Amino acid sequence: MDIGIIAVNALTLACIYGMLAIGISITWSSLGLVNLAYGFMFAFAGYGAWQINAWCSAAHLALPPVATLAIGVLCGALAGLLVCALAFIPIHDKPNFTMRGMVATIAIDLIGTQGLLWYFGPRAKSLPEIFGYWQIEYGGIVLTANTAGAIGSSILLLGAVLLWMKSSRRGLEIRAMMMNPHAASLVGIGVRRTGLYVMALTGGLAGLAAVLLSQTYYVSPFAGFTPLIKGVSIALCGGLGSVAGAVIAAVILGINEAVTAATIGGQYVLITQFALIIAIIVVRPRGIAGILDRAREA
Amino acid sequence: MADGVQEILRVTSLSAGYGALRILHDLDLTVLAGERLGIVGLNGHGKSTLFLAIAGLTGWQRGSILLNGHEVGGTRSQGPGRYTHRVVRRGLALMPQGDEIFHGLTVEEHLDSGAFTPRAWRERKPRKARILEIFPPLAKLMAVPVGRLSGGERRMVCLGRGLMADASLFLVDEPSLGLAPKIGRSVMQALMNIELGGAAMVIAEQNVSLLEGRVDRIIGMHVGKLKGEASVSLSGAARAQG
Amino acid sequence: MENEQASARWRNPLKGWQPAREVDEVPTDPWRNPVHAPGRYTVKLFAIGRLRFFHKFRAHGKRLWHRTRYWPTRRRVLDVRGGYNPKTLAAEKTIRDKRPLYWLTAFACLLALPLAVPDSAANTLYTAAAIFGIYGAINLCWMLIIGTAGVSSLATYSVVGAAAYGSAYCSIHFGMPWWALPFIGVPIGLVFGLIIALPATRLDGFYYALLTLGLNELCRTYVLQSKVFGSATGGLYGAQSYIPDSLSADGQLLLGYYASLVLLVMALALYRTINGRRLGRILRMAPEQKEAFAEACGIDYRRARIQVFLLSSMALGFIGGFYAAHFRGASPSLFSIDTVALGLAMLMIGGMQRAEGAVLGTFIVVGLHHGLVGLGPLRLILIGVIMLAVVLFLRGGLFGIKPQFRAWRDKKKSENRSTRSVKGGEMLPEEATETFDKDEIYRRRFDKQQRDFLKTLVTAQVIEEHRRQPLGQHSEALERLLMYFRRHPQQDKYAIEVLEPFKAYRIVALSGHRGVAPHDVEEKIYASTDDAYHGVFMRRVQDLLES
Repeated sequence: MDIGIIAVNALTLACIYGMLAIGISITWSSLGLVNLAYGFMFAFAGYGAWQINAWCSAAHLALPPVATLAIGVLCGALAGLLVCALAFIPIHDKPNFTMRGMVATIAIDLIGTQGLLWYFGPRAKSLPEIFGYWQIEYGGIVLTANTAGAIGSSILLLGAVLLWMKSSRRGLEIRAMMMNPHAASLVGIGVRRTGLYVMALTGGLAGLAAVLLSQTYYVSPFAGFTPLIKGVSIALCGGLGSVAGAVIAAVILGINEAVTAATIGGQYVLITQFALIIAIIVVRPRGIAGILDRAREA
Repeated sequence: MADGVQEILRVTSLSAGYGALRILHDLDLTVLAGERLGIVGLNGHGKSTLFLAIAGLTGWQRGSILLNGHEVGGTRSQGPGRYTHRVVRRGLALMPQGDEIFHGLTVEEHLDSGAFTPRAWRERKPRKARILEIFPPLAKLMAVPVGRLSGGERRMVCLGRGLMADASLFLVDEPSLGLAPKIGRSVMQALMNIELGGAAMVIAEQNVSLLEGRVDRIIGMHVGKLKGEASVSLSGAARAQG
Repeated sequence: MENEQASARWRNPLKGWQPAREVDEVPTDPWRNPVHAPGRYTVKLFAIGRLRFFHKFRAHGKRLWHRTRYWPTRRRVLDVRGGYNPKTLAAEKTIRDKRPLYWLTAFACLLALPLAVPDSAANTLYTAAAIFGIYGAINLCWMLIIGTAGVSSLATYSVVGAAAYGSAYCSIHFGMPWWALPFIGVPIGLVFGLIIALPATRLDGFYYALLTLGLNELCRTYVLQSKVFGSATGGLYGAQSYIPDSLSADGQLLLGYYASLVLLVMALALYRTINGRRLGRILRMAPEQKEAFAEACGIDYRRARIQVFLLSSMALGFIGGFYAAHFRGASPSLFSIDTVALGLAMLMIGGMQRAEGAVLGTFIVVGLHHGLVGLGPLRLILIGVIMLAVVLFLRGGLFGIKPQFRAWRDKKKSENRSTRSVKGGEMLPEEATETFDKDEIYRRRFDKQQRDFLKTLVTAQVIEEHRRQPLGQHSEALERLLMYFRRHPQQDKYAIEVLEPFKAYRIVALSGHRGVAPHDVEEKIYASTDDAYHGVFMRRVQDLLES
C-alpha cells in the first residue's frame, strides 16, 4: 500500500467534502435550516459552468480555466440565494420552521434536479480541464494537477471564508446569529439579510466543490446527492455548527474513505463511514464539537 | 418641541398581542430626552410586552410608535422580529428579560456585537473603555466566553452590550430578576450611574423599592394599561423647574 | 319646543300660575332630535365569541342518554350528545365528531372503485390504487414514528426495503410460501428497527434525520452493488406471490387492489391502537422540547418512544413482506432519495400527526405519480411544487387548514378590535365576553351614546338658565340634563350638607352604603340653597364633560 497515494486522496476528499460540510454546518446553526437542496445547488453550479462554457465556445470565445471555476462558484451562490428566497425568507419566523424548512429544501431539490433532467436530458456533461496536465513529485508523493488544484483552491477559498467570518463585522453577524438568533435581532442584525449572505456563501462553496468534483466525475442532475450525503455525515460527525469540528471530521472521514477504498474495496466506503459516524455520535451526541467546545452549554 | 425638551419616544394608542390574545390595551406613553422612567407592575400585566412591541417583537400590534420622530410602529401583523433590526438602528437598545446572550462569543466580541451601527463600530474602543468604567468586574473577563460567566456577570454583559449601541432609548426589562438582592441592587446602581445625555432610559421592574427615589417618574402598569403617574421624584421636579 | 327658528326662545308654560320670581322666557338652542344625533351609531359592532354550527337531529325525548358502545371496549360508535333545546325545549341530538362518518364514506368509495373504472384505464388505475394501499400503510407507520413517537426518522422506507429484500431472498432461495413472507418481514423489521433505534436514544431531532438519510443511502448503494441482491437484474425478483397466475389479468389486478386495501385498514387499526391508547397518550404528554417536564411528571418517554418505534418497525417489516409478495420481489428504488422525498411529501401535504393526513397525502401524491405516467419527469416537478406550496403556506398540511384559518381569523378579530378608538365607558370586547349579564353591555353602550348627546347640550345659555333658577320648570335641554343627573346611582352622588340653615351649605358625596357617612368633596361654603344647587349642577356638568 502506498501511504502517499492514500494521504493525497484523503486530503483531496477531505477538502472537497469539507467545503460542503462546513456549508451545511453554517447553514444549520445560523439559519436553523437543514439544507437538503445541496444536490440541486451542486448540480446547478455544474450545469451553469457547463452551459456558459458551451455558449462561449459556440461564440468562439476562449474562457480561461479559472473563469470556469469562478462561474461555478457564482452559479452555486445564485442557487443558494434561490434556496434562501424560497425556503428561508417566507417561513423562517413561522411555527414548526425546522421541519417545514427541511421539507421545503427537499421539495426544491426534487423540482430542481427533475427540472435539470428535463431541460438538459439524462446525458452527463463534462467540464473542460481547469488545472491542465502537469504533476509534481515530492518525496515519492505524486500530486497531479487535479489534486493539487483541488486542494489548493479549496483551502484558499475556505481559508478566506473562515478569515472573513473571524474578523469582519459581517462574520461577527453570522457568528452571533449562530449562537442566538433572537438576541441577534435585538442588536440590530437583520435575520433575512444575514440569511442571504450565509446562503450565498455556502452556495459558493458548493459551487466550487461541484466544479472540482466534475474534474474526476461528470456533471449530471443527480451528481450532487452523494456529496450531499458525505457532507451531511461529515457535518454530523463534526457537530452541526462547529467549523473546526467539521474540518477535523472531514480529515478523519477522508482518511477513512481512502483507507477503506485501498484496503477492502470501494463499495464498503459508506458502511465503514457510517459505522465510524455512529460510533462517534453514540459516544458524543454533539460530534467532535462536543469534545472541542466546552462553552456551548448554556 | 415646545418646551425645549425633545421627545425620544411617543407611543399613541398602542395595542399588541399574540394571536387571539390581546395584552396591551390602547396605551399612550411619552418618554422625554434625559429622563429615567420606571414602569412597575405585577407579572403578566404587559411590561415586557410593551418593550417587545416597541421593538416589533410581538405577534401583532396596532398604533403609532414614534422613536426620535420616526414611525416604527404602525399596523403590523406579520411574524415577530421582521423589522426589529430596523427599529434597533433607529436608536433602540432593548435589554430583554433573562439573558439573551451569545454563549460562544467572548465578552469582548459580545460588546462588539452591540456596536452594530456603523458609527458605533468605529467608536467601539472608547465605548468599551466607558463600559468597563461602569462595570469594572468585566475588565478581567474580556477574553472569557460568555457562556461561562455567572448570572450577575451575564447581566452586566447584556446591559453593556445594550450600552455599546448608538442608542437614544434604553429599555431595560427587569434588571434585578433572578439575581441575589445585593447583586440586583448593584446592577441597578450601575444603571443609575450611567450618564444619559440626550438619551432616555425606561426600566421595568416588579420591585418598586429598587426604583423609588432614583428615577424621574414611575408609571404603574395594570392589565395592559398604564395606570397613573405616581411619585414624581425630587430630581424630576427640580429638572422641571430648572 | 316652539318653532325651530334661530329665534329659539323658551317660554315658561306655567307662567302666571306660579309666583312672580319664575323666569318666563330664556334664550335656548333649537331643539334637536337625539335619535338623529351625529355620531350616534358610528360605533362599529364586532361579533364576540364563536358559535360552531352543528346540525341538530330530532330525538326521542326519553332516551337522550343512550349510548351505543361496542365490545370489548367502552368506546362509542359516534360521539352523539343529547340535550334539550334551551328555547323550544325540544329533545335533540348532536353528532359532535363526524370523522367516523367521513372515514366510512371514503372506504365505501374505495370499495366501489371497480364500478367506476373504465376498461381502458383499468391497468394504470388498479396498479396505482394498489400502490396507494401499500404506501398508505407505510406512511401510517411512518406517521407513528414521526408524529406520535416524535423520532424524525427518514429511514422508514429502508426498513420496508430491507424486509422486502430479506423475505424475497427467503422465498427465492428457501422456497417460502407467499403467506409466510410478511411474517418473515416482521423479525427483519424488528432487527433493522433496533439498529436504527440505537442512535435515536442519544441523538435528537435533526441530527437523527440526517443520520437516517445517510443510512438510507448506505442501503441503496449496498443493494446496488451486491450480487446476492440482484445488482445485475436491477432488483431481486422471483418471490412467490399471493396472486395466483391462474387468475385472469383483470382478476389479478382486482385481487392485488383489495389485498392492499386490507393492508391499509390493518395499518389504520394499528395507528388507532397505538396512537389512541396508553403509548400515544404518554407521548402526547412529552412533545418536543417539553421532555424534561414530562420526565419530571414521571413519564418514561424514551422507553415509550422506543416501544412505538419498534412496534412500527415490526409493522413496516410486515408491510415489506407483503410488498415482496405483491410485486414478486423488491427493487432498489425503495431506497432512493426520491422515494424518501415523495414519502415526506405525502406526510406533509396531508398534515402531520393525523391518520387522515397520511392517507390523503398518499392519495394525492400516488395519484399524481402513478396516475399521470404520461407526463414523465414533469409530474415529479408538479409534486415538488405542491409540496413546496403546502410547506410554505400551511402549518399543518391540508387537514391543518381549518385550525390555521380559525387561528388567523381570531388574530384578525383581536387586531380589529384594537383599532377601535371610541370607548368612553363602553365595554371592551374582552370585558364583554367576561360579563355574565349581557344586558349590561347594551346598557353601557346606551349610556355612552346618551352622554355623547348630552354633552352637546351643555352651553353657556343652559348654565346661565340654571344659575338664575335651579328649581322649577326649565327649557328642554336643561330638563334633559337634570333628568340624566338625577338617575345617577347613589354611590358618589352629590348631595348638599346643611352646615347652618339658610347660611352655610356644603357639597358632599354620598357613600352609597347604609351607615357610611358621606365624604367631603370640596371646602367651599355656599351661602344659599340656590347657590349650592348650582354648585352641584356645575360639578355634575364637569363630570359629564370629562367622562
